[in-house]
Amino acid sequence: MPRWAMVIDLDKCTGCQACTIACRMENNVPFAGHELADAGRAIFWNEVFVHIEGEYPNVKAAITPRPCFHCENPPCVKVCPVQATYKDEESGLVLQRYDRCIGCRYCTVACPYGARYFNWYKPEWPPGTENYQNPDVPLRPKGIVEKCLFCEHRLPIPACVQACSSGARFFGDLDDPEGQVSQLARSPRAIRLLEDLGTEPNCIYLKEGQ
Amino acid sequence: MAKISRRTFLRVLGTGAAAATAYGLRPGGSLLRALTAEEKAALQAAQDQWLPTVCGQCPGGCGMMVRVVDGRAVKIDGLPAHPSNRGKTCPKGQNGLQVLYDPDRIQGPMKRAGERGDGEWQAISWDEAITEVTSKLAELRSAGQPHTATFLTGRVQGQMEGLIRRFCQAYGTPNYVDHKSISMAATELAHGYITGHRRLFGYDWENTNYLLSFGVAFLEAYQPTVRNLRLSGYMRRGRPHQRARIVQVDTRFSVTAAKSDEWVPIRPGTDGALALGMAYIIIGEGLYNRDFITRHTFGFEDWTDDDGVTHQGFKSLVLRDYAPGQVEAITGVPAESIARLAREFATTAPAVAIASRSASMQSNGLFNQMAVEALNALAGSFDNRGGPIIQRPAPYLPWPDVHLDAAAEQGLAQPRLDHAGTERYPLAESVYQQLPESIASQDPYPVNALFLYYTNPLFSSPEVEPVRNALKNVPFIVSFSPFLDDSSMYADLILPDHTYLERLQDVEMVPSTGYPVVGLRQPVVAPLFDTRHTGDVLLEIAKKLGGTVELAFPWDDFEQLLQYRVNGLWRSEQGNIIATEYQHFWEEFRLRSFWADPPYRFGEWSRVFGTPSGRYEFYAQALKADLAQAAGGEEQIDALLAKMGVQARGDEAFLPHYEPPQAVGDPAEYPFYLNTYKMMTHAEGRGANQPHLQEILGTFLNQHWDSWIEINPSTARRLGIENEEQVWVESPAGERIKVRAIYYEGARPDVVNIPFELGHEAYGRYARGRGANPNRLVVNYTNPLTGTLNPFATRVKVYKA
Repeated sequence: MPRWAMVIDLDKCTGCQACTIACRMENNVPFAGHELADAGRAIFWNEVFVHIEGEYPNVKAAITPRPCFHCENPPCVKVCPVQATYKDEESGLVLQRYDRCIGCRYCTVACPYGARYFNWYKPEWPPGTENYQNPDVPLRPKGIVEKCLFCEHRLPIPACVQACSSGARFFGDLDDPEGQVSQLARSPRAIRLLEDLGTEPNCIYLKEGQ
Repeated sequence: MAKISRRTFLRVLGTGAAAATAYGLRPGGSLLRALTAEEKAALQAAQDQWLPTVCGQCPGGCGMMVRVVDGRAVKIDGLPAHPSNRGKTCPKGQNGLQVLYDPDRIQGPMKRAGERGDGEWQAISWDEAITEVTSKLAELRSAGQPHTATFLTGRVQGQMEGLIRRFCQAYGTPNYVDHKSISMAATELAHGYITGHRRLFGYDWENTNYLLSFGVAFLEAYQPTVRNLRLSGYMRRGRPHQRARIVQVDTRFSVTAAKSDEWVPIRPGTDGALALGMAYIIIGEGLYNRDFITRHTFGFEDWTDDDGVTHQGFKSLVLRDYAPGQVEAITGVPAESIARLAREFATTAPAVAIASRSASMQSNGLFNQMAVEALNALAGSFDNRGGPIIQRPAPYLPWPDVHLDAAAEQGLAQPRLDHAGTERYPLAESVYQQLPESIASQDPYPVNALFLYYTNPLFSSPEVEPVRNALKNVPFIVSFSPFLDDSSMYADLILPDHTYLERLQDVEMVPSTGYPVVGLRQPVVAPLFDTRHTGDVLLEIAKKLGGTVELAFPWDDFEQLLQYRVNGLWRSEQGNIIATEYQHFWEEFRLRSFWADPPYRFGEWSRVFGTPSGRYEFYAQALKADLAQAAGGEEQIDALLAKMGVQARGDEAFLPHYEPPQAVGDPAEYPFYLNTYKMMTHAEGRGANQPHLQEILGTFLNQHWDSWIEINPSTARRLGIENEEQVWVESPAGERIKVRAIYYEGARPDVVNIPFELGHEAYGRYARGRGANPNRLVVNYTNPLTGTLNPFATRVKVYKA
């Protein structure tokens, strides 16, 4: 059984958000529109976060893309009362059974990385736009939770990895010692977010700088 | 779920667009269950293919492939083999399907039914539309007025530029006006004077070790941006133990600045002075590349001409005027920083300096650009590994000659409407933003017909409102836009083009790789609506006009014209496609979707420098010659310079030097410079009709679906402006816009920043009425010498709404 993992090199990432749009297009994630987006209800399986700190002229910005981390020890799975979200035994991915989800949003709260999104609204596909729906990926109705699935329908190349313009993303099997991903994961620049929570995320960041 | 054949990237070409037979996987259905075995089998039988094409979301020309399932385009990705983007994309490229399937596309030719701008339209047939245009053009021609027809163009690519220019020529109008004067004209002009090539440079980023950028949105919107993004990753991490250093000189802390090793905030318009201050250290400390300077440059040392007159050289000018202390006073950059940057730049070969908008679109922009380029000459990186390179043009077959009839000759003899190349704008080729005034004043003559091709002057022009008046006063306006954009609302006729995913077109790469690359944009789906390729429409109009206009276009349709020109690529027997028969070449060209002729060969100096001296010219002899010609003699140059607002006199004017930038607006009343910057997500407002892009618009500042103004927090507090509060921004243009103030530590205290993206009054449901257009504030202040707009010269005031 492979242990799928993603490595994101923050030194290379330019925050262009090609990953975000590639993901939305691949996974049939509709846009929310300005009102829902203002209310924080836009869905991004892959979201790019920017943190700016310092005072003029000593300003720094940290740009961090965030997919689902497909944790070894996923808090979202533990809290799901109906086993709609589960750790897939074959692939090791944290997947969703949409038809079981009751929309309680426990998982959304439990995920420390904010990777889970609730469908607050009926997905809108204005006339014509339904044409670009990907036939490989089901649509989700209002009232259920969804998130990044590491593009399990097109393993081993998630859409974001294929699009990434600066080549900041890598995807592969952590258990393959010769693989690029496991080698990068051993880099002195490698970090995982909120490791002290014991979630053991399968997304490894490489820090910026020398 | 369906595994289909998607990973095998079928390159099925030809006619089979939609064999929607078997299962007909309909969109819109809610599939919450797993597929049954039959459905899976049907899905596998469905026609699922990846078709190659070229992106059209920006001028970059990235190679793309589009996944088409049963005639529906469902996903776009980069074309792996394309030399520029190598399979990579930006968010705009990924989002092209929201252009194709925009619910507000124009569905067929339309004629205005109500008043201009009312938005009332009547559908007409293509025959009617083309007949109407033809009869108007014929009427003007027979009345001896062909020159009063004007073509305004924006994103012309490949043969469309040549076709429209040729149409203008054969028809008899000198008024082909492109949009470079509100874009990169000053940069191109500077490049022309120093190298003899009036265009952008390519860059060998693979080998660059030090990138010094003056106001360039390198990671956001600059030449082929995806190539920059791809190679920025490579410069940083692709070469073991060789991490390129990147320094961003900018008036704003941009994404590029954030990803750089160092941000150097600079006073607006003083970039040239900083470059010259660095040159002072590099020259004074002997750190320059002596070999390059001696062998390949002209005008470094003082020199004596054939008449025995001594002229000033770059070296003595720099050592006289640009000591770091003086430069610190001009730029606000500390003298120690200037010296350190200079030493880094000169000792970290290969080093490259680049400049654009906020440096070049200033009253002193031409000289700023020349000053920055001089650093490349000092470092000897010019046309060397890791440096700026001169793109070789693609060997298209030359156009056949055009024979002009008397009407055309008469028309072409008329002065240009925009006064480009006249005493008003002596060095300009086109002055886009001059049109409203020329139309209003009917100087030099009235405009009787206006054609809009991929340009939206009512959005992208400075001040905006004069454009509205101008559009109201032109008796006949034709737009070729596939979208009902701001300007098309004022058209009499709309002859909608296909969108880029439905169109056949070549796209020659903008200067970047050094070697020529021609991409082939191919339709990936059949046209959704009753639209037509503008190339075909113009050819049909030419045919109907008859006579020499018809004879100028001996092609049945645009594809034939394209094949005529592309034949030259085949004949060159160079590049990635070699074939004994042209037909095989064409088939292979369609299959690969690009032709490229790598590698770039460095040091072909006779090709690289087309200047009078055949060298890199610090002392721009061609500038001197152009000025002498415009002034009516060398001795008149100083008088012309005075008239043009240039302070330098004599030799200094032809050398890279610093001129204080002119601003519009009294600093006491208008305390801030306005910086209308570009972002990755939209590229000049053209993406405002794409909802996904709206939703990720300003992620860098956590903004979306709306405009904002970035203001330094201390400055804002002093003005009593709260974060996220609505404010008015007002300029001497007499306009004000209401936007949300965002505290931003990356804003200089003397500069406020509004992205140049939103504020459309039309352009579909997602663009209309969202945000505010900062171009309304930009004063139409055109540089008399170069004819370029100086948008960064506008000062504004900000107050609570």
